[in-house]
Amino acid sequence: MKPAQFALDTPQSASEALALLSDHGDSAKVIAGGQSLVPMLNFRLVTPERLIDINGLEDLAYIRENDGVLAIGAMTRQQEIEASPVIAAAAPLLAEATREIAHPSIRNRGTVGGSLLHNDPSAEYPVTLLCLGAEVEVASVRGNRTIPVSDLILPWFSTTLEPDELLLEIRVPVAGESTSQAFEELARRKGDFALAAVAVALTFGASGAIEKAAIAGTAGRCAQRLTEAERALTGEVPTDSVVGAVAAAAETEIQPVGDIHADEDYRRHLVALMTRRALAKAIGDRAGSKED
Amino acid sequence: MSEQAEMSEQGKVTWIGKPVPRREDRPLTAGAGRYMADIEMPGMLYMVVLRSPQAHAKIVSIDTDAARAMPGVHAVYTAADLPEELKPFPVIWRPPVLKDDSIAALASDRVRNVGEEVAVVVADTQQIAEDARELIRVKYERLPANVDPIKALEPDSPRIRDEWDDNVAALFPFRNGDVDAAFAEAAHVVDGHFKINRHAAMPMETRGVVASWDALTETLTFWSMSQAASLLRTELAKSLDLPDNAIRVMTPNVGGAFGAKWDRYAEDLLACVATRRLGRPVKWMEDRREHFQSTVHAREQIQDWEMALDEDGRILGVRGRAVADLGSCVPSSGIGTQWVTGNTIPNQYKFENYSADIIAVLTNKARAGSYRGFGGPESNFPMERLMDKAAKELGVDPAELRFRNQIQPEDMPYPTATGMAVYDTGDYPGALRRALEMVGYEKLREEQPKLREQGIYRGLGIGCYVHCTGFGPSAMLGMINYDTSGYEGARIRIDPGGKVTVYTGMIPLGQGTETSLAQIAADSFGIDMDDVRVVWGDTSQTPYTGFGSGGSRSNLAMTAVMNAAEQLKAKMIRIAAHTLEASPDDVEFADGHLSVRGVPDSGLTMPEVARIAYLAHSLPEGEEPMLQTQQVFDPPGFGWAYGCHVGVVDVDIQTGMMDWKRYVIVDDCGPMVNPLIVRGQIEGGVAQGIGGALLEEMVYDEAGQPMTSSFMDYLMPTFHDVPDYEIDHLVSPSPHIRGGFKGMGESGVMAPAAVVANAIVDALAPFGIEVDELPITPNVLWRKLRDAGAFEDGRSAASVG
Repeated sequence: MKPAQFALDTPQSASEALALLSDHGDSAKVIAGGQSLVPMLNFRLVTPERLIDINGLEDLAYIRENDGVLAIGAMTRQQEIEASPVIAAAAPLLAEATREIAHPSIRNRGTVGGSLLHNDPSAEYPVTLLCLGAEVEVASVRGNRTIPVSDLILPWFSTTLEPDELLLEIRVPVAGESTSQAFEELARRKGDFALAAVAVALTFGASGAIEKAAIAGTAGRCAQRLTEAERALTGEVPTDSVVGAVAAAAETEIQPVGDIHADEDYRRHLVALMTRRALAKAIGDRAGSKED
Repeated sequence: MSEQAEMSEQGKVTWIGKPVPRREDRPLTAGAGRYMADIEMPGMLYMVVLRSPQAHAKIVSIDTDAARAMPGVHAVYTAADLPEELKPFPVIWRPPVLKDDSIAALASDRVRNVGEEVAVVVADTQQIAEDARELIRVKYERLPANVDPIKALEPDSPRIRDEWDDNVAALFPFRNGDVDAAFAEAAHVVDGHFKINRHAAMPMETRGVVASWDALTETLTFWSMSQAASLLRTELAKSLDLPDNAIRVMTPNVGGAFGAKWDRYAEDLLACVATRRLGRPVKWMEDRREHFQSTVHAREQIQDWEMALDEDGRILGVRGRAVADLGSCVPSSGIGTQWVTGNTIPNQYKFENYSADIIAVLTNKARAGSYRGFGGPESNFPMERLMDKAAKELGVDPAELRFRNQIQPEDMPYPTATGMAVYDTGDYPGALRRALEMVGYEKLREEQPKLREQGIYRGLGIGCYVHCTGFGPSAMLGMINYDTSGYEGARIRIDPGGKVTVYTGMIPLGQGTETSLAQIAADSFGIDMDDVRVVWGDTSQTPYTGFGSGGSRSNLAMTAVMNAAEQLKAKMIRIAAHTLEASPDDVEFADGHLSVRGVPDSGLTMPEVARIAYLAHSLPEGEEPMLQTQQVFDPPGFGWAYGCHVGVVDVDIQTGMMDWKRYVIVDDCGPMVNPLIVRGQIEGGVAQGIGGALLEEMVYDEAGQPMTSSFMDYLMPTFHDVPDYEIDHLVSPSPHIRGGFKGMGESGVMAPAAVVANAIVDALAPFGIEVDELPITPNVLWRKLRDAGAFEDGRSAASVG
């Protein structure tokens, strides 16, 4: 089980990488942590002519907070996100979801940018970054542009990134004081790909009603915002019956895909259940913090 | 002494029964092991196999020109290129009801499963060989595939072997007593339709081979991780048309086998053909994806069983049918595993009337062969499920129903209802009683309803099991048409310096062979374990063993070592008596020391006697110089190990996921030689049983394409998925084996599927769900719960938190 032959580039700067992508983008793959790409290469599921290894781009690994925006460099390792106090305060959802990614050795190598762009339907970052209203900055020799994550990710491992573009940074609005976030997923074993996952980010009003609700889910096809579920929660005090209606909306609007591990009905049910459980956690955390 | 020797009360050095850490562990965990992948030889070439991407197809043409032309490629072989005299590997276990089949080196005109060998490339490097493989063009004409063993029984279903009338490889009937009369008079009849999932041993190390032909001596050195080196040598000799003594099979460290490396495989023959033609060593290492497709799978059976009981819940008889999916070809073990399934259905229970049809059928899936447990888990699951079903039907506690039916210690030896097995010893109710006591059965039963009120669905599952060990008496193997022997030999040599070397035909696969045989030898001579070396893995040095490692046979090797040590002790006594001018009857052998009875200071040490034996200047009349002997032990009967597992689980009815709370094991393998090794074997076996029950399944789609070809989709249990084990032992020595040891390598894997299923069914008793199909996935459980109406009355919202 060996990859087919490929040329290897090891650029040491973003501009060098962009020049390579400009010349070879159509026939090259960018390799970051390699935690998904290397197995695909070894299975010869992908046979790029060229690999552009961006592990030399060390200045793309950072976590910063500025003016209410959390900026994460594309090459930041997942383990750093898991351990970062900045992330824990500014985007607790991201920290919580990161702990569900595979196993520590994989999180040590895997990058946030690599995982987002690989866009595995069962991966944690697309669904959480979608929920958080994140955007990404990408660059090419043609110039830079900013893409909301909602416009970046497409079904079936696809994105709207152009072949000559490189992801530089992920930007997440910093969680406000009156927000509460939670993540729930179910996998067959600890660390496995999630059968279904739901991320919620709630902003509470002074009355205890929910001013703003962001809910995203995934169940085998692609991370999606559950807008009907959000609508059912926005402006409401989250009573049991409201939560029930939100879960029912999520169950209806999720687009599940079945496989050998879980059929569509079960995944649909799990999205409803994960929605209930994530909301219960977020609402419970909010209640807990108010008591403090 | 370095390895925790202890003096017994009599002051004698004893090793048997001591929890000695395995001597293998330090070097292997420190990376000093040498596995097949580590073997490199000068001038070595690398072989890769092109496998069929089709489940069932005619081969129209194969174009290898481009591959052959690639620089660095030495050879490309298809079936047409193989020597005419090359013979396929025969099936070893061939009852008369089994149709003829064999394991061919390469597919010629037709492929019968995804992964079947179609061509090989031999090149300077693995990379070149893999690149060249991509250039081979094969044209296939697809044929309809058989994936479902039940459909494969239908007369008009696609035929796997044109020369057969149907797809049935064998129908083996078990008939004993009058089963129809038993059912006619039954007060209760319970039945079940059971599915045992196709899964596989999946050792950490995949398969591999290095074959090296020496043109000077015209001999073949064959490195293999086969569990059956001597048998492989004999089979290679037949297939390659070489004398046995021209082949030396060497075994490096083996990274797990669990039965999967007992079968003979095509790559063995292909590497031999390549090295003989090319005159250079040839290595083939299987990658994991190949392993998923072409190393034997196991266990898949679809079964229907009925059990008849009288008013008091006593079993009157069992009847049914098991259809086993062999995949595309009969494995080396023939229908051995399926026969064992039929022969162990009676489990621990007393009844006399039994009828079973064991049907083995071919399909377009990977060949199914041996896996730890060898047919036992496949009978334990339905039988222990039937016991729980019967308990439910009668309104009796499942433990109580088992007590009413268990064979009692005083019934031993007990001929079972199959008419083909005799249990030797055991206290079956004692094991169940002890397991219930350890788990706190009554208290758990009292707590259960209260927990349910809180939304906690807790269940208890019992699994009693038997395990046929020390496989087996050669005459018995002959009676069941096993074309090999069951004895185990041991050679011991004491060097001129007095140190001991034990030569064994056993292949260490992780079962601690080196340690336990060193314990036996050190115990026999009363010496330090460090003074015993164990040599294995070279057919030019080690005793012939017709069966190889597997079948829980360490106890046979241990007996052979004990007998060989006895012989050498007697010889050393004669030599010492001669030197000390005493009668041999007056010479004592204790703790490696020989002395005249009553004069302990007068004696000789083992090294002193060894020196005398090798110098041969003054030996007793007629005594042969040197100290070496070989003993072969062929057991007069099987040692039946047994035990009882009780598991406690909580089921999340919202997700169908389950959580382990407890797992209690009471095992009886007779006296334990090394309790640490026994514990490791039990824990590993239970983990594999749990994996098979909950996670592992080789899934094929309707066209016969495997859907599980990597660890992404084929889920093995990790340490997160197994419970903490609470283990205790009973001790019932086997009368057939010196020392009373029974085998125990496979005990752990017998009962877990039944334990898991029984516990889940018990947890979900309020919903009346039965679980008779494996694996038990959360999706399946959730569907059953939904269909049973579990979510209709608002209970669905109960466990939101």
